Amino acid sequence: MMRISVFFRLALAATALVVCAVTSALAHGERAQEPYLRTRTVQFYDVHFSKTKVAVNEEFEITGKFHLMTDWPDAVSLPDVVFISSVSPGPTLTRVATFLDDEPARQSFSKLELGRDYNFRMVLKARTPGLAHIHPTVSVKGSGPLVGPGQWIETTGVATDFAFPIATLTGEHIPDLQTFGLTNAIGWHVVWVVIAAVWLLFWLVRPLLLPRWIALQKGREDALVSMTDTAVALSLTVVVLALIFGGYAWEVQRYPYNVPLQSGTSKVAPMAKIEPGVTINVSDATYDVPGRSMRLKASISNVGPEALTIGELTTANIRFIVRSLPSEMANVASDYPVDLIARTDLKISDPSPLKPGETRVVQIEATDAVWETERLVSFLTDVDSKFGGLMFFYNDKGERRIAEIGGPIVPTFTELSAATQ
Amino acid sequence: MSAITANDVSLASTKQRPDSVIEIAGFTPEAAKYSRIFDFLVVFAVITLFAGAIHLHVMLTVGDWDMYVDWKDRQFWPLVMPISMIMFPAALQSIFWSNFRLPIGATVAATVLLLTTWIGRYANWWVWTGFPFTEGVPSQMIAGALLMDFALIVLRNAVLTAIFGGFAFGFVFWASNYSALAPYFLPVEHQGTVASVADMIGYTFPRSNMPEYLRIIERGTLRTFGSSVSWVSAVFAGFVCIFVYYAWWKLGEFASQATFLKNNRSIMSYMGLRDADEAGQTAKIGGGAQS
Repeated sequence: MMRISVFFRLALAATALVVCAVTSALAHGERAQEPYLRTRTVQFYDVHFSKTKVAVNEEFEITGKFHLMTDWPDAVSLPDVVFISSVSPGPTLTRVATFLDDEPARQSFSKLELGRDYNFRMVLKARTPGLAHIHPTVSVKGSGPLVGPGQWIETTGVATDFAFPIATLTGEHIPDLQTFGLTNAIGWHVVWVVIAAVWLLFWLVRPLLLPRWIALQKGREDALVSMTDTAVALSLTVVVLALIFGGYAWEVQRYPYNVPLQSGTSKVAPMAKIEPGVTINVSDATYDVPGRSMRLKASISNVGPEALTIGELTTANIRFIVRSLPSEMANVASDYPVDLIARTDLKISDPSPLKPGETRVVQIEATDAVWETERLVSFLTDVDSKFGGLMFFYNDKGERRIAEIGGPIVPTFTELSAATQ
Repeated sequence: MSAITANDVSLASTKQRPDSVIEIAGFTPEAAKYSRIFDFLVVFAVITLFAGAIHLHVMLTVGDWDMYVDWKDRQFWPLVMPISMIMFPAALQSIFWSNFRLPIGATVAATVLLLTTWIGRYANWWVWTGFPFTEGVPSQMIAGALLMDFALIVLRNAVLTAIFGGFAFGFVFWASNYSALAPYFLPVEHQGTVASVADMIGYTFPRSNMPEYLRIIERGTLRTFGSSVSWVSAVFAGFVCIFVYYAWWKLGEFASQATFLKNNRSIMSYMGLRDADEAGQTAKIGGGAQS
């Protein structure tokens, strides 16, 4: 009795766990990606979602740019074959068109260049009502998807209203890609199942296993397979062959202009290169684990003709911004995901504009809990403990200059050691 | 005298020679009834067990080719699918034919696979993740399996069935599936480039972690054969299937062996026979059991 009671309680607890503890997965584990993948490969910026609330069948766009870091990790395949896409929880959104530097991007691209920037545009169409977390993504063959900043998109309406019509080059109108050709495909499958069922029932109606086995042991194969059975098999052979090749010939006649699956990669030129006008040499970089702060000591040289002011450090889609700089704030869209903007300003020991020809050693501090919440601190466990990111500078006209920043980073694990840095 | 004796023997033999399988087996009507119940139990077990096993096998070996309509290329798909798909049908044919003279093993395997696949398409793809059925139209191997079973009953020989039935299984895969899939190879224009309808379905309904470059599809036609790539693949698939078939036929033979454990006190105790043994009685289990 006691045992039953314990068992019953355990079963009840297990049931409660299964029923109550399950929640819907709306996002897709982007924070689980290793930090070196997110900080040292593809840096997305200027990402913008044209709408965050759409109706079923309504189109919207994701636009933006990405920079391929020069200090590309050894553990990651080079971007020799790349596919531009969106990440969503299943096909809640459908793709209408994709462009990379204005080139059609339905297929993959080959040989993207490190150290260069590309702009992308995706036209998407809402399909499934509900809330979905959507990212732009750059998939690199051999390394997988490298995701950009995610945005919550709310889709309203009724799922059954969705349709995706297209027209073929042979003049056929396809009212909905979701259902096209299904009647034909399922019809053929039903035909084959029916013939198989006839053949199986032809045998299954007879005594099957034990008596047949005994009869076979007694050498009475003649009673198990008759000439009639063979004749039926031969007749069905003719029927099956006629269906196979007759059906094939019929479809060839019905669709004479079919094409194979399209393959091959495209090539695209990167965006025109704009020299940043600065060089950055990081001499010391630490990550204060308890303080959740990255501190950099860098020598920055202005090698351009214009004075430049530091406005932002961005890495892994996280933005550490200087809110006091109007040019920077003009580049922070109001709909940019708030969870990806550090609540604390980027601190710079001397934030004044860097004059042309000037070299200045500055202390930069990026402090925020977002290092933890975005699971970026585990880069300290990497085999090559490095960080990477982009620094945004602005001239007095508000024009932006982008420079890479990166290098080795050393963790400090105690508050005492952090204080001595 | 000798002629009369032979005639007598012949007549006696005819009278005593039963024709029905039940009579040959020597079953009473009640034994036949229970035998039939046993048949149904085994049929149920075969359907459920092999439906799962074959589906798992195909998903693990050539799953992506079977799952996605935009993976069904004309060069590799007609080659890799039948080579993997023939394995379980060949083994089941061996088991059913060698032990029961039932030429249905391949058809059983092909049918349960297709039914299971469609259940998976409905439950996993549509209900759970919302992919349209067009993106996951599966391939079928029933046509080839039927031909393989027909070859077996006509030829009644594993080697010959491998040569003719196994080849037919691989060879007809392309043609027998093209009938269902032909509309998906219609050409469309998308962003100024040519695409098939299948390409468009794969592009339109995103598989987030499956970039386009993962599709191992043909990178160009076989130059010598021009546009007849599929038939070249079909012939080669048939050729390879001959050997795969025979290997799995042998595996089926091996798997359907009845072996007996030598009797001992431990084995007997598991069967509740220890007391009998201790009483000095001999318990014989199976044909080869000895204490």
